[in-house]
Parts: sequence; structure tokens; C-alpha cells
Amino acid sequence: MNVETSYSGSTAVAVVDGRIDSANAKDFDEELSAIIDRGVSSLVVDCGGLNYISSAGLRVLLIAIRKTNEAGGGLALCSVPDHIREVLEVSGFVRLTKVFATADEARASFSK
Amino acid sequence: MVDATLDLEIGLDKDEPRRAVERFEEFALEHGVPMGLTFKFQLALDELLTNIVSYAFDEDAATPVITLSLRLTNDMLEARLEDNGRAFNPLRDAPIPDLDLSAEDRRVGGLGIHLTKAFVHALDYERVDGLNRLHLVQPLGAHQEDQT
Repeated sequence: MNVETSYSGSTAVAVVDGRIDSANAKDFDEELSAIIDRGVSSLVVDCGGLNYISSAGLRVLLIAIRKTNEAGGGLALCSVPDHIREVLEVSGFVRLTKVFATADEARASFSK
Repeated sequence: MVDATLDLEIGLDKDEPRRAVERFEEFALEHGVPMGLTFKFQLALDELLTNIVSYAFDEDAATPVITLSLRLTNDMLEARLEDNGRAFNPLRDAPIPDLDLSAEDRRVGGLGIHLTKAFVHALDYERVDGLNRLHLVQPLGAHQEDQT
């Protein structure tokens, strides 16, 4: 797993690739927490390169959703591959966070 | 006629479920199992193994043994997962997540088992001779219908 983040004020886009499971969920949590701790309240997680996520990774997303909601912003996902989208649907995460086609659309949703 | 097997022993370490399911992935793709089905079955195995590695054994457990036996035929993918940890039937004992709750009220407990049940065709549990035994079955034909 690798996370590349670009910042713009209180908004950030984190591009995540690889695999998130119980072996590295803690690292993923540290990455997202560090971004939010820099004052980011609106976080876009770009899943274009994500090829695997288990419930351990969903737990980390849930924590980040709560933190960004609390900060008055939120968390949005974009570029989600079909098989990952199915995980989000089955786990009910599509009701907790919005899913956009592109990072630009996700970012724009926060400025409305 | 395909009739392939893969037997793995899994250690008590947080990296072990990944190691095991990546071996499964290689095995499945090598034998032509469709990617979508391979992903779902891999996720199911990962969730079950992660539960076992994390919760089935006390820290001072004498001799933890976890085994995964996979069998692939033309029409079916099967897995048998056994451990000698404390009795735990994930189908009965895991909490059932309430997917309608808000992010603030949601709990993640039980989500792994929920995904597992959704992603494999059949999942059975039995307690035999001091072992937890899980049996997963995925008909390969049924997968095509599931794709809709």
C-alpha cells in the first residue's frame, strides 16, 4: 500500500494504491490520521489503484469518516474499481460516504 | 478435468492471513478461476483467518495449529479451515452489523463475517475433536449468475 497526498487548504486528495488488509490497516490509519491532523476536514480518497480492501481497511475508513465529519467536512471516495465498490455496497459503506467518478468531482462536492 | 489441491499451515502472526490468501490467489488464477470469484473467495478466507489469528488463541496457547486446505475441480472451489483455538462459530457468535446506522453509531464488529457470508455460496461450521472447522463452497458455474 502507498498513499500520495496533495493538499489544498483544508481539502486533501489521498491517492491510495495496492492492498489494505489486517497486515497493514494500522499503517493506513496512521497515514489518514496524519493527513487529518494537518487540519484537513474534507478528504478525498482516490481508490483508482486500490486492488484489495478487507474489513480491517473499512474500519480505518470509518474512523476517518467520523473525524472529518466532526471537523465539519467529510470524506468522499473516487475512482473506485468495481470489485471494491461491491465491498462498499455489501458493507453499507456507500451510505456512509459519497462515491464519485473522479477526484475533481469529489473535491468539487466539498465546495458546494 | 481439473482436480488441484493446496494445503497451507498458518502461523499466529498478523501478516500470516495475507501470506495465505496470496498463495490462494496464485493457485486460483493459475488454474483459471475467474478474477471476480478469486477476489471474493480471497476476501472471505482473509476475514476468517484474520479472526482466528486475532482471537482464537490466548497469548500463552500451547501449540496453536491453523490449517487451510483448498480443492479446486471443474465446477467447484472448496476450502476447509481448521484451528484448535477456543470454540467459535462465526455464523452464530459474531455480532450482526446494523448497516443502517450513521458513521457515528456504526460498529465494525461483525463486518468481516458479513462480507464473508455475502461473498461465498455456502459456509458451514462444526466443532469436531477440539477443532473449529469451517467449510466454504463456491460452485464455479453459480459465479457467472452472481455477476449480474
